[in-house]
Amino acid sequence: MSYSSVVLAKIQTGTPPAMPEPSEILQGTLDMLVLRTLALGPMHGLGVSDRIRQITRGVFVVKPGSLFPALYRLEQNGWIKGHWGESENNRKAKYYTLTPSGRAQLTKEKRKWNKAFSAVNRLLEGEF
Amino acid sequence: MWWFRARRLQQERAAEIEACRAMLVDRYIECGLSREEALRTARLELEEPLTEQTRVEHTMRPSMRNTIESSLQDARYAGRALRKSPAFTAIAVLTLALGIGVNTAIFSVVYAVLLRPLPYNHPEQLAFIWSSFKSASSRAPTSGPALYEIQHRSRLAQDIAAIWVGTGTFTGDVNPEQVKVAFVTTNFLQMLGTRPALGRVFRPDEQFNGPPAIVLSYGLWQRRFGGDPSIVGKGVAFQGESATVLGVLPQDFQLYFPQDSNVPPEIGVFFPFQNWLYQRPRTLYFLRVLARLKPGVSVDQAQADMNQVANQMRGAYTEFANENLKLEVAPMQRDVVRDLRTPLIALFAGSGFVLLICSVNIANLLLARANDRRQEIAVRCALGASQGRILRQLFLEGLLLCALAGATGVALGWAALRGLLTIRPDYLARMPHVELNWPVLAFVAAVSLACALVFGLAPSFESAKSDLIGTLREAGRSSQTPARRGVSALLIVGEITLGFVLVIGAGLMIRTLTKIQQVNPGFDAQRLMTFELDLNKFDPPDRINFVRDWESKLATLPGVDAVGGVSHLPLDDYSNWYSPYRPEGVAQSAATTLADYRAITPGYLRAMGTRLLEGRLFDDRDRAETQQVVLVDDMLAHSAWPGESAVGKKIETEHFTQKGVIPVWAEVVGVVEHVHNHSLSKRLRAEVYIPFTQTPREHMTFAVRTRMDPSALAGTIRQELQKRDKDLALSKLRPMTTYVERASAPVRFTAVLAGIFAALALLLAAIGIYGVISYSVSRRMHEMGVRMALGATSSDVLRLVMREGLVLTSIGMLLGTVGALFVSRALEGLLYGISAVDPVSYAIAIPVIALAAVLGCWRPAAKAASANPVDALRM
Repeated sequence: MSYSSVVLAKIQTGTPPAMPEPSEILQGTLDMLVLRTLALGPMHGLGVSDRIRQITRGVFVVKPGSLFPALYRLEQNGWIKGHWGESENNRKAKYYTLTPSGRAQLTKEKRKWNKAFSAVNRLLEGEF
Repeated sequence: MWWFRARRLQQERAAEIEACRAMLVDRYIECGLSREEALRTARLELEEPLTEQTRVEHTMRPSMRNTIESSLQDARYAGRALRKSPAFTAIAVLTLALGIGVNTAIFSVVYAVLLRPLPYNHPEQLAFIWSSFKSASSRAPTSGPALYEIQHRSRLAQDIAAIWVGTGTFTGDVNPEQVKVAFVTTNFLQMLGTRPALGRVFRPDEQFNGPPAIVLSYGLWQRRFGGDPSIVGKGVAFQGESATVLGVLPQDFQLYFPQDSNVPPEIGVFFPFQNWLYQRPRTLYFLRVLARLKPGVSVDQAQADMNQVANQMRGAYTEFANENLKLEVAPMQRDVVRDLRTPLIALFAGSGFVLLICSVNIANLLLARANDRRQEIAVRCALGASQGRILRQLFLEGLLLCALAGATGVALGWAALRGLLTIRPDYLARMPHVELNWPVLAFVAAVSLACALVFGLAPSFESAKSDLIGTLREAGRSSQTPARRGVSALLIVGEITLGFVLVIGAGLMIRTLTKIQQVNPGFDAQRLMTFELDLNKFDPPDRINFVRDWESKLATLPGVDAVGGVSHLPLDDYSNWYSPYRPEGVAQSAATTLADYRAITPGYLRAMGTRLLEGRLFDDRDRAETQQVVLVDDMLAHSAWPGESAVGKKIETEHFTQKGVIPVWAEVVGVVEHVHNHSLSKRLRAEVYIPFTQTPREHMTFAVRTRMDPSALAGTIRQELQKRDKDLALSKLRPMTTYVERASAPVRFTAVLAGIFAALALLLAAIGIYGVISYSVSRRMHEMGVRMALGATSSDVLRLVMREGLVLTSIGMLLGTVGALFVSRALEGLLYGISAVDPVSYAIAIPVIALAAVLGCWRPAAKAASANPVDALRM
């Protein structure tokens, strides 16, 4: 997708939402986080957001303004699939499931991330 | 369809956000917030996705969505780019609109006259059948018996009809009115496929015994009979008797006949020929023949068929054999406009040249602009724009420009067409539906699109292959690349070439017009009033008496110098009278020769100012019962009796006597100069004049030579006629100059338009040169400064720049001369009195073009010469 390299998603980091410390992380990262979360099982949007905060121990807080577009985009690409269901407290909610192609994409993203991550780490910690 | 899906998706997304909000509210309440606070917090949190992100973006297939979205983006960008340089946009749009406008107007005429099918049933099957004789220089009509032969011998025609147009008079309660009467064979109207507005038309093979039956035109029915819906079956007073109205033609019915057929477009009454038509003399040629060919018969096949018919007719009758009768098939659609085809195509080509010159100017502008934008484009490339994207963007800019120009051009064209129609000659009046219609608009759209393709793509190929790094490095100090300067130079040369050809073409047409206006037509049209009377109601002796008294009355009117009457006025479109003549001593079996016949009163030639070359004019001694006499023109005298005096010779001519139309031996009493009866530019046929007393024709046109403005006499003439006889129809009361102007109108039309095109071409060429040279100068101010710093004087610089422009101009003129030679060959048929390589036209065109070029170069050259070396070096 041509815009993926240009358009940057805003994700706020830091535990207290009152003290935002914005940093721009490539959108691919958010996509990867969402895919990874959904790999745990079907969940609705708010659930995804909760789970990301929970797993990253509050490092990443994904606001709905970023989350929903990401969900739409992933669904558009066929990586996740939405269906309506009931929430824990009997509310209507749209649940998303990872599709096989989404699982493949997650693997790809993970590999990419690991590669980039280790490269950056080597750069930061290595000897010149 | 994707927008339905989009709508559903949008609804679903809104529902999802709503569900999310509900859950958030639940959660906040659980945390101990009040309901209001919970609602507010949830709303704040969801505000962003609700306003911004629920908009449906991803609903189309991504590739298609991308294309459309980025195209829209490009279009917006193109619009911004054009808005950002309003001067460029305005000049480009106006220039192109000018070219398109001129073409719109001319194409409207070309379409209406040359391309639109005639409004008859299966017009492609209709064809004229013209006769040609050994003696006649031009094609001729046919006679009643010959028509019969053609009808019965042809195998490939479904139907063959004939027409002859004369005049007739309506009498009765209202004022007498003279109208054009078409005498037609009974199958004529049905063959064209005419559906009457009222009643019916004649049936083929219908015979009318008793009162004559007529079919009225819509216009006449409205005007004279007030659109009376019950007129069918009624009797109306026509030609002194009661004629039964059979039907009324539809409002849009019109006859489209070639100019030389003497069949005008507006006919008041259709009158059926009866069987007597076939008993008329075999050599009285007056019928214009129209055939409907069988479906699928080609012109060649029809011609072969007619060749065979002519062959059989020559075998069967000595008259046809002597005259070596031939029959010629001419498809109606083409033949109707045969005189218009060449001038219109020439004008169309001229307007095409104007458009080309406009295009060249715009190409130059765009090249300069592309040059200026190399920096911008290089930056866009560097930021990752693909070549395709940049090409598309430049093309869209061209398209936008051409669309604007096309719209403006149509408006200009519409205005130009209004102007054109006010100066249109009669021959265009025959084609009433000259208008902006769908075919014309389609043409404009096609032209605009073609321009967009050329302008959008040509410079963009240049730009797209430009050297990225080099351009970025140049950073604002860019000068023209040699290649681009070469292209500009080529465009200038092309522009001058086209302009030169146009100026030569216009020069030839204007010179032809002046030559035609200088022609001595054999009469003096100034201060001459003319009008026609229908004398049908008188018996021949009464008619002669009436005319004598009437003329002597007219002669006594104040300001009147001379008065005369003629059966057929020169340059009138009234049906011609021309017949064979035979000088004494020529065997009857020898080939006949044809002459125009005119019955005149004694004062006529003097009133017209036609010079007597030998012998005498007619006078009161020439009466019905005296020796038959004629006057002939010098053309006849020279061909019949070369080197001898014609006076006193005998000649067999055709007279309208009480015994009918018969050949009579007459004595030549005088020779007069030739009169241009049909065309200012051509001497068509020899002429024979017969005294009115010896051939009292039914329609006479009177010519009144005045000492003042002839139009001032119109009222007096009407009053005098009213006093004398209330039943006489007077028509065509107009000065003789009207006829002369009408005869030169087609040439004037062509000359005026060609002149306008040439002027436009000159102006555009001068602007084009100015644009290119001044652009090149602005790019080279630095160079000029350096030159001057190194010791060049400002006149050196002036010369340098002027030379650049003038060398290109000279090359253009050289090429233009070659082009003009070809073009003038094509125009040859339109010229009169000058050769196709008219030296005067060239002698005028060369300095005019050079002057335009000098004017175009002067300002930029002066600007270059004023370059300040210090400024230039500091730059």
